[in-house]
Amino acid sequence: MIPTLDDAHATIRRGLLITALALAGVATVIIMALWLTPTEVRQGLAQKIFYLHAPSAWAGLLAFSLTGITGGLYLWLRDPRLDLFSEASAEVGLVFGVIVLTTGPIWGKPIWGTWWTWDARLTLTLFLFFLFVGYMALRNALSDPAERARFSAVVGILGLLLVPFVHLSVYMFRTLHPQPVLLKPSAPSMDPRMLRTLLTSVGVFTLLYLGFVTARYGLSLRREARGVADGD
Amino acid sequence: MGIETPDNGSYMVAAYVVVCVVVVGYAASLWRRSKQ
Repeated sequence: MIPTLDDAHATIRRGLLITALALAGVATVIIMALWLTPTEVRQGLAQKIFYLHAPSAWAGLLAFSLTGITGGLYLWLRDPRLDLFSEASAEVGLVFGVIVLTTGPIWGKPIWGTWWTWDARLTLTLFLFFLFVGYMALRNALSDPAERARFSAVVGILGLLLVPFVHLSVYMFRTLHPQPVLLKPSAPSMDPRMLRTLLTSVGVFTLLYLGFVTARYGLSLRREARGVADGD
Repeated sequence: MGIETPDNGSYMVAAYVVVCVVVVGYAASLWRRSKQ
Protein backbone atom coordinates (compact mmCIF):
# COMPACT_ATOMS: atom_id res chain seq x y z
CA MET A 1 0.00 0.00 0.00
CA ILE A 2 1.40 3.39 -0.98
CA PRO A 3 1.18 5.98 1.83
CA THR A 4 -0.18 9.44 1.09
CA LEU A 5 1.57 12.62 2.21
CA ASP A 6 -1.36 13.36 4.53
CA ASP A 7 -0.97 9.95 6.21
CA ALA A 8 2.74 10.57 6.66
CA HIS A 9 2.26 14.04 8.15
CA ALA A 10 -0.41 12.74 10.54
CA THR A 11 1.97 9.97 11.68
CA ILE A 12 4.80 12.46 12.21
CA ARG A 13 2.53 14.76 14.25
CA ARG A 14 1.32 11.84 16.36
CA GLY A 15 4.91 10.72 16.98
CA LEU A 16 6.07 14.20 17.98
CA LEU A 17 3.11 14.57 20.36
CA ILE A 18 3.90 11.24 22.05
CA THR A 19 7.57 12.26 22.20
CA ALA A 20 6.66 15.54 23.92
CA LEU A 21 4.61 13.64 26.52
CA ALA A 22 7.44 11.16 27.02
CA LEU A 23 10.01 13.97 27.48
CA ALA A 24 7.79 15.39 30.23
CA GLY A 25 7.81 11.86 31.65
CA VAL A 26 11.62 11.77 31.59
CA ALA A 27 11.66 15.03 33.57
CA THR A 28 9.24 13.43 36.07
CA VAL A 29 11.45 10.35 36.40
CA ILE A 30 14.49 12.54 37.08
CA ILE A 31 12.58 14.41 39.81
CA MET A 32 11.41 11.09 41.30
CA ALA A 33 14.92 9.63 41.19
CA LEU A 34 16.58 12.67 42.75
CA TRP A 35 14.06 13.64 45.43
CA LEU A 36 11.61 10.79 46.01
CA THR A 37 13.92 7.76 45.95
CA PRO A 38 16.35 6.86 48.75
CA THR A 39 20.10 6.81 48.14
CA GLU A 40 21.58 3.32 48.11
CA VAL A 41 23.99 3.10 51.05
CA ARG A 42 26.87 1.17 49.43
CA GLN A 43 26.83 2.76 45.94
CA GLY A 44 25.83 6.32 46.84
CA LEU A 45 24.25 8.68 44.32
CA ALA A 46 25.85 6.85 41.38
CA GLN A 47 23.27 4.08 41.88
CA LYS A 48 20.59 6.52 40.66
CA ILE A 49 22.10 6.23 37.16
CA PHE A 50 20.34 2.85 37.12
CA TYR A 51 16.90 4.54 36.83
CA LEU A 52 17.82 5.83 33.36
CA HIS A 53 20.34 3.17 32.29
CA ALA A 54 18.18 0.05 32.74
CA PRO A 55 15.01 1.48 31.09
CA SER A 56 17.16 2.70 28.15
CA ALA A 57 18.55 -0.83 27.81
CA TRP A 58 14.97 -2.17 27.83
CA ALA A 59 13.88 0.34 25.16
CA GLY A 60 16.97 -0.42 23.05
CA LEU A 61 16.41 -4.17 23.17
CA LEU A 62 12.72 -3.63 22.39
CA ALA A 63 13.68 -1.49 19.38
CA PHE A 64 16.22 -3.99 18.04
CA SER A 65 13.80 -6.90 18.63
CA LEU A 66 11.03 -5.15 16.70
CA THR A 67 13.51 -4.35 13.91
CA GLY A 68 14.19 -8.06 13.53
CA ILE A 69 10.54 -9.11 13.89
CA THR A 70 9.26 -6.61 11.32
CA GLY A 71 12.20 -7.55 9.07
CA GLY A 72 11.08 -11.18 9.23
CA LEU A 73 7.49 -10.14 8.56
CA TYR A 74 8.69 -8.14 5.56
CA LEU A 75 10.38 -11.23 4.09
CA TRP A 76 7.09 -13.06 4.49
CA LEU A 77 4.51 -10.42 3.50
CA ARG A 78 6.64 -8.06 1.32
CA ASP A 79 4.81 -5.02 2.67
CA PRO A 80 7.21 -2.04 2.31
CA ARG A 81 5.73 -0.41 5.42
CA LEU A 82 7.25 -3.21 7.51
CA ASP A 83 10.67 -2.37 6.07
CA LEU A 84 10.14 1.32 6.82
CA PHE A 85 9.22 0.47 10.41
CA SER A 86 12.35 -1.71 10.71
CA GLU A 87 14.47 1.22 9.55
CA ALA A 88 12.83 3.57 12.07
CA SER A 89 13.13 1.12 14.95
CA ALA A 90 16.81 0.41 14.24
CA GLU A 91 17.67 4.12 14.27
CA VAL A 92 15.77 4.67 17.53
CA GLY A 93 17.43 1.58 19.01
CA LEU A 94 20.82 3.14 18.30
CA VAL A 95 19.77 6.28 20.20
CA PHE A 96 18.96 4.17 23.26
CA GLY A 97 22.15 2.20 22.65
CA VAL A 98 24.19 5.41 22.90
CA ILE A 99 22.55 6.12 26.28
CA VAL A 100 23.23 2.61 27.57
CA LEU A 101 26.84 2.58 26.40
CA THR A 102 27.60 5.97 27.94
CA THR A 103 25.69 5.79 31.24
CA GLY A 104 27.01 2.25 31.91
CA PRO A 105 30.68 3.29 31.98
CA ILE A 106 29.80 6.46 33.95
CA TRP A 107 28.29 4.13 36.61
CA GLY A 108 31.14 1.62 36.28
CA LYS A 109 33.93 4.09 37.04
CA PRO A 110 32.91 4.87 40.66
CA ILE A 111 31.47 1.39 41.39
CA TRP A 112 33.88 -0.98 39.59
CA GLY A 113 36.84 1.41 39.46
CA THR A 114 37.02 1.25 35.66
CA TRP A 115 35.13 2.80 32.76
CA TRP A 116 34.99 -0.44 30.80
CA THR A 117 35.68 -4.13 31.19
CA TRP A 118 35.32 -6.86 28.56
CA ASP A 119 32.54 -8.50 30.53
CA ALA A 120 30.05 -10.69 28.60
CA ARG A 121 27.05 -8.32 29.06
CA LEU A 122 29.01 -5.22 28.09
CA THR A 123 30.75 -6.87 25.15
CA LEU A 124 27.55 -8.38 23.73
CA THR A 125 25.74 -5.04 24.10
CA LEU A 126 28.56 -3.33 22.21
CA PHE A 127 28.42 -6.01 19.48
CA LEU A 128 24.65 -5.57 19.17
CA PHE A 129 25.14 -1.81 18.85
CA PHE A 130 27.79 -2.26 16.13
CA LEU A 131 25.57 -4.76 14.31
CA PHE A 132 22.81 -2.15 14.02
CA VAL A 133 25.32 0.54 13.01
CA GLY A 134 26.17 -1.90 10.21
CA TYR A 135 22.46 -2.33 9.51
CA MET A 136 22.07 1.43 8.97
CA ALA A 137 25.26 1.57 6.87
CA LEU A 138 23.95 -1.29 4.71
CA ARG A 139 20.65 0.53 4.16
CA ASN A 140 22.49 3.67 3.08
CA ALA A 141 24.74 1.69 0.72
CA LEU A 142 21.95 0.02 -1.27
CA SER A 143 19.89 2.10 -3.70
CA ASP A 144 17.39 -0.53 -4.89
CA PRO A 145 14.50 -0.46 -2.35
CA ALA A 146 13.58 -4.16 -2.66
CA GLU A 147 17.20 -5.28 -2.35
CA ARG A 148 17.76 -2.89 0.57
CA ALA A 149 14.69 -4.18 2.38
CA ARG A 150 15.60 -7.85 1.81
CA PHE A 151 19.26 -7.61 2.86
CA SER A 152 18.61 -5.38 5.87
CA ALA A 153 15.78 -7.69 7.04
CA VAL A 154 18.30 -10.53 7.22
CA VAL A 155 20.71 -8.40 9.28
CA GLY A 156 17.83 -7.30 11.52
CA ILE A 157 16.88 -10.94 12.16
CA LEU A 158 20.51 -11.72 13.07
CA GLY A 159 20.39 -8.83 15.54
CA LEU A 160 17.15 -10.20 16.98
CA LEU A 161 18.89 -13.54 17.58
CA LEU A 162 21.56 -11.73 19.62
CA VAL A 163 19.01 -10.03 21.93
CA PRO A 164 18.29 -13.06 24.21
CA PHE A 165 22.04 -13.63 24.61
CA VAL A 166 22.45 -10.02 25.79
CA HIS A 167 19.68 -10.44 28.37
CA LEU A 168 20.75 -13.93 29.53
CA SER A 169 24.50 -13.19 29.47
CA VAL A 170 24.48 -12.44 33.21
CA TYR A 171 23.28 -16.03 33.82
CA MET A 172 25.31 -17.75 31.09
CA PHE A 173 28.72 -16.26 31.89
CA ARG A 174 30.69 -15.21 34.96
CA THR A 175 30.02 -11.49 34.84
CA LEU A 176 30.55 -8.33 36.84
CA HIS A 177 27.27 -6.82 35.60
CA PRO A 178 24.44 -6.81 38.20
CA GLN A 179 21.70 -9.43 37.81
CA PRO A 180 18.27 -8.30 36.53
CA VAL A 181 15.91 -6.96 39.22
CA LEU A 182 12.71 -6.97 37.12
CA LEU A 183 12.93 -9.43 34.20
CA LYS A 184 13.67 -12.54 36.25
CA PRO A 185 11.66 -15.55 37.48
CA SER A 186 11.44 -14.40 41.14
CA ALA A 187 9.82 -11.22 42.53
CA PRO A 188 11.62 -7.85 42.12
CA SER A 189 14.36 -7.42 44.73
CA MET A 190 14.30 -3.68 45.58
CA ASP A 191 13.10 -1.12 48.07
CA PRO A 192 9.46 -0.31 47.05
CA ARG A 193 10.31 3.38 46.44
CA MET A 194 13.20 2.39 44.18
CA LEU A 195 10.94 -0.10 42.39
CA ARG A 196 8.27 2.58 41.86
CA THR A 197 10.80 4.92 40.24
CA LEU A 198 12.22 2.11 38.10
CA LEU A 199 8.78 0.96 36.89
CA THR A 200 7.77 4.55 36.11
CA SER A 201 10.97 4.98 34.14
CA VAL A 202 10.41 1.74 32.20
CA GLY A 203 6.94 3.02 31.26
CA VAL A 204 8.29 6.44 30.27
CA PHE A 205 11.11 5.00 28.15
CA THR A 206 8.65 2.65 26.43
CA LEU A 207 6.50 5.70 25.63
CA LEU A 208 9.62 7.54 24.44
CA TYR A 209 10.41 4.62 22.12
CA LEU A 210 6.85 4.74 20.83
CA GLY A 211 7.07 8.50 20.20
CA PHE A 212 10.48 8.34 18.54
CA VAL A 213 9.65 5.37 16.34
CA THR A 214 6.26 6.75 15.27
CA ALA A 215 7.77 10.11 14.27
CA ARG A 216 10.72 8.43 12.53
CA TYR A 217 8.38 6.00 10.74
CA GLY A 218 6.30 8.99 9.63
CA LEU A 219 9.43 10.58 8.13
CA SER A 220 10.11 7.38 6.16
CA LEU A 221 6.47 7.28 4.98
CA ARG A 222 6.77 10.89 3.83
CA ARG A 223 9.98 10.13 1.92
CA GLU A 224 8.24 7.26 0.11
CA ALA A 225 5.11 9.35 -0.57
CA ARG A 226 7.25 12.15 -2.05
CA GLY A 227 9.13 9.57 -4.15
CA VAL A 228 5.81 8.34 -5.57
CA ALA A 229 4.66 11.91 -6.16
CA ASP A 230 7.95 12.67 -7.99
CA GLY A 231 7.62 9.50 -10.08
CA ASP A 232 10.72 7.75 -8.54
CA MET B 1 30.84 0.13 62.38
CA GLY B 2 28.43 1.70 59.80
CA ILE B 3 28.81 1.64 56.03
CA GLU B 4 30.33 4.82 54.59
CA THR B 5 28.28 6.01 51.59
CA PRO B 6 30.65 7.07 48.76
CA ASP B 7 30.62 10.66 47.53
CA ASN B 8 30.07 10.13 43.79
CA GLY B 9 27.19 12.48 42.91
CA SER B 10 29.18 14.04 40.05
CA TYR B 11 28.95 10.76 38.10
CA MET B 12 25.17 10.75 38.53
CA VAL B 13 24.95 14.35 37.30
CA ALA B 14 27.13 13.51 34.27
CA ALA B 15 24.95 10.51 33.36
CA TYR B 16 21.72 12.49 33.72
CA VAL B 17 23.10 15.29 31.54
CA VAL B 18 24.11 12.76 28.86
CA VAL B 19 20.62 11.22 28.86
CA CYS B 20 18.95 14.65 28.59
CA VAL B 21 21.25 15.76 25.76
CA VAL B 22 20.70 12.55 23.78
CA VAL B 23 16.90 12.33 24.13
CA VAL B 24 16.24 16.05 23.66
CA GLY B 25 18.79 16.16 20.82
CA TYR B 26 17.16 13.26 18.98
CA ALA B 27 13.66 14.70 19.55
CA ALA B 28 14.92 18.03 18.12
CA SER B 29 16.41 16.16 15.16
CA LEU B 30 13.04 14.52 14.43
CA TRP B 31 11.25 17.85 14.75
CA ARG B 32 13.77 19.57 12.44
CA ARG B 33 13.48 16.79 9.84
CA SER B 34 9.67 17.02 10.03
CA LYS B 35 9.90 20.68 8.93
CA GLN B 36 12.04 19.95 5.83
